Amino acid sequence: MTHTVASKNKSDLLQGTLDMLVLKALQLEPMHGWGITERIEQWSQKVLQVNQGSLYPALYRLQRQGWITSSWKTTENNRRARYYALTAAGRRQLAVEQESWDRLSEAVNLVMRMSTS
Amino acid sequence: MGILRDEARKLSGSLRQRTAEPELDEEIQFHIDMQTEKNQRLGMSPEEARRAALVRFGGTDRIKEEARDEYRSRPLEDFVQDLRYGVRSALGAPLFTLLAVLTLALGIGANAAVFGVVKSVLLDALPYADADRLVRVYAQKLDGTLKRSGVSAGAVGDFTARQRSFTHLTAFFNATADATFNSETGPRVLKLTLVGANFFQTLGVAPILGRTLSEADCATGARVMMLSYAAWRRELGGDPNVAGKTLRVNGNPWQVVGVLPRGFVGPMGDVDLWLPLDLGPTLRDPIHARRRHWLGLIGRLAPGATVEAAQRDFATISADLSREHPDSDAGLTTTTESLRDSMAGDTRTPLLVLMASAGLVLLITCANLAAAMLSRTLSRRQEFAVRVSLGAGRGRLVRQLLTESTLLAIAGGAAGLLLASLGLAVLRKLALPALPAYAALSLDRGAVLVTSLIALGTGIAFGVAPALSAGRTSTLREGARGASESRRTRRLRGALVAGQIALCVSLLAGAGLLARSLWAMATAPLGFDPDGVLAVTIQFGTHKYDDEKLAARFYDEVEERLRALPGVTAVATVSELPSPRMNSNGLGIEGVTWPAGEGQPFITYATVSDGYFRTLGIPLLRGRTFGPADRPDTPRAIVISQSMARRYWPKGNAIGARIRLGPNLEGPWSEVVGIVGYVRNDPARPEPEPMTYGSRRQEAWASAFLLRTKGDPLALLPPFRRELAAIDPDTAISKASPLRSYLAEGMAGRRLPVVLMTAFGLLALLLASVGVYAMFASMVAAREREFGLRVALGSTRQAIAGLVLRGGAAWMAAGLAAGAVGVVAVARLLRNLLYGVPPFDPIALGASVITLLACATVALLVPVRRAARVDPITVIRD
Repeated sequence: MTHTVASKNKSDLLQGTLDMLVLKALQLEPMHGWGITERIEQWSQKVLQVNQGSLYPALYRLQRQGWITSSWKTTENNRRARYYALTAAGRRQLAVEQESWDRLSEAVNLVMRMSTS
Repeated sequence: MGILRDEARKLSGSLRQRTAEPELDEEIQFHIDMQTEKNQRLGMSPEEARRAALVRFGGTDRIKEEARDEYRSRPLEDFVQDLRYGVRSALGAPLFTLLAVLTLALGIGANAAVFGVVKSVLLDALPYADADRLVRVYAQKLDGTLKRSGVSAGAVGDFTARQRSFTHLTAFFNATADATFNSETGPRVLKLTLVGANFFQTLGVAPILGRTLSEADCATGARVMMLSYAAWRRELGGDPNVAGKTLRVNGNPWQVVGVLPRGFVGPMGDVDLWLPLDLGPTLRDPIHARRRHWLGLIGRLAPGATVEAAQRDFATISADLSREHPDSDAGLTTTTESLRDSMAGDTRTPLLVLMASAGLVLLITCANLAAAMLSRTLSRRQEFAVRVSLGAGRGRLVRQLLTESTLLAIAGGAAGLLLASLGLAVLRKLALPALPAYAALSLDRGAVLVTSLIALGTGIAFGVAPALSAGRTSTLREGARGASESRRTRRLRGALVAGQIALCVSLLAGAGLLARSLWAMATAPLGFDPDGVLAVTIQFGTHKYDDEKLAARFYDEVEERLRALPGVTAVATVSELPSPRMNSNGLGIEGVTWPAGEGQPFITYATVSDGYFRTLGIPLLRGRTFGPADRPDTPRAIVISQSMARRYWPKGNAIGARIRLGPNLEGPWSEVVGIVGYVRNDPARPEPEPMTYGSRRQEAWASAFLLRTKGDPLALLPPFRRELAAIDPDTAISKASPLRSYLAEGMAGRRLPVVLMTAFGLLALLLASVGVYAMFASMVAAREREFGLRVALGSTRQAIAGLVLRGGAAWMAAGLAAGAVGVVAVARLLRNLLYGVPPFDPIALGASVITLLACATVALLVPVRRAARVDPITVIRD
């Protein structure tokens, strides 16, 4: 539970990763901030825990870059919450990041599987 | 993370305001509530669940703040923050700030000051109603011996009757004369002129007191006059009841009929007393009617008429008059020009040269500023990279830089304004005698605004452009390794330095040419020796010296007393002190018929006493000068100058030749009795003009005394005053100064552009040197690591120094090559102002190039030394 990605990393790689994860989480439907953390946690089988302190700045950043939009809606429990939704540009960005992530992880995997003996 | 976080706090602003941000609060509250609910579902007690949720979330304040930084929508808060940050960043780099502000201030100040002059002389409205429609008409000889001359009284009548271009046409005495105002406190010398009745109507000027001169005043030659505002205040204390009062001028009573408005200046210059012009007596004189060209002519264009149309109109009338009056008007034509051009006169070209110089300085300023901003922005790439990685948008960075540039421009503009008003104060002292009388030097708001905008635009363009690229390309990694200039920016900076060098060499070349020309002017022999001579012009207080015998006795008596003063070695009287515009007479030579259609040439003429040539050191070449043998009843004796003898008696037979001088073609012959050395009455003109002298023994008229002494000329003034008062207390001294300074005054107009252009040249030199230094200093700083590596790999320090030097030399060479174009342009512009110096004078050009190279090299040597001293160990370890 204490193992969070955010608290142990400080490279700008993280930032890009968080942004990508947020975009991914929003791919299916608009969601509020808490929902996003839950979804990422759930999809990663609790390996990734989003530092909530990073989440909101990231949300505003993505919004400013025009990749997501937000609006206030009422939840099923009748509470007001800010919902975030992917824009068309956001979808394109997600595809871009997905692709570069695939390339990167593939490359890292290749390196790590090299037998060193 | 800690460092970055701190950085983020610092960067993202000192504004720590805790204003409610309901939306963000609500959003965070919602998040914490959801987490609490989840914790409860997992089995925690409500308090525990809430505490865990809060812990999990972290400091809400900090998050809000960061989110705020990411999600901004309040321009005012941003602006204040940018402003604070701008001030902090300016104070954090004091050298850069000082450099930028000073550079801006110099550029803006110089331009605003010079434009203030240019505007007041060339652009501001003349002190007349609808002054653009006013046109000056001059007479001119087709053979060029008479230019921009006055018109004869007869011609004025003919023009008035025949012309169709003007609604008003007015004649006036085209000069001023000294008059003695017999005030209660003693004689005062004032300037008077004579104007036609419709003079003030033509100019569209109304009196502030009383009335203007009337037709009746002029027709009857009434003793009435108008006062200038200045004279009214100065001489009469602004007496509101002055109209109708009588003042004594030159011993006669004159009635004041009106006072002219403040700021009114005549086309002939500053005048105190305006008297009616009565052409009747002149028109009745058969010789003077058409042969004395003494009247100025100004017309007001009729609706639809142009200066060119008026020119054609008057040229046609002149041609007719030449045919109708072949004796007097042959070879005469007229030229017209706008009154402004006529009054701005010779100041136009020097002023435009100055404006161009100031413009060049502004360009150098901009180049310098651009380079400084560029390198500052580059050196801050790391900072930008940090901010970008923390989420600052490009727009945010650009806005920040915009604020910073604006701050600099405002500071520079304010300092520039201060400099400009100081500059104008200096210019007022320096330039006023050389400028037309109507010029009121003042700081021009428009000029300050425009130059500030240009400087601001430069600052922004060159401060923001790199920020854009920084925002786009910089990553933390690149930034952390230390900013190094890209090839492209280095080239841009190099081009800016080369541009500065090109502009600077052009300016220096111009200043060099003008200075050489002034030097040539000042040192070329005048043909007479003005040093050690006191020149005193006098003004009679009465009309008794209209009697030539009385006048002659007066001059002789004064001369005799002056000769007896201790220290005086020679004394003379002369009708007119040497000046660029002297009285000239039509010339007739026995046995010579001037070509038909050309008429007689006009030759400068002065009457002098026997001692004149000795007093001024003008050598006698042949024949004799004047002496007791020349009496009123003997034939007029004439002494001519060498240049006169060469032009009209090339065979050397001038002595004994019989000539006529003056308007009367049937008068008695005069005889050339001697030839003296040439004189240059106008030090600004290389060619000595032909000169004729008559004897005061035969024509008793003089306006000035000349005294040669071995000591200080001014020491003779008190004894002169004493002697003059003893002989005639009514005669006033209107002007007294050493002849040398009197001549220098006439050169003021020539000196002004030299002084100012040299000042601009030096300013440009300073700015360009700073520019060279700044470029290579930052280049070396950026490449320190590379140099360290090179040294570590075995490169010698000489090789490193050579590397930097070669880079500098290449850009300097490029700058000089581009400067050649500028030099050609400057030489072209200055061609008409040069005297005794070719436009491509090797000395002036060589000196300017060498000065520039020397300064630039010194500026370059500092960074070169630094490059050569790079310590490989330290640099690589860093």
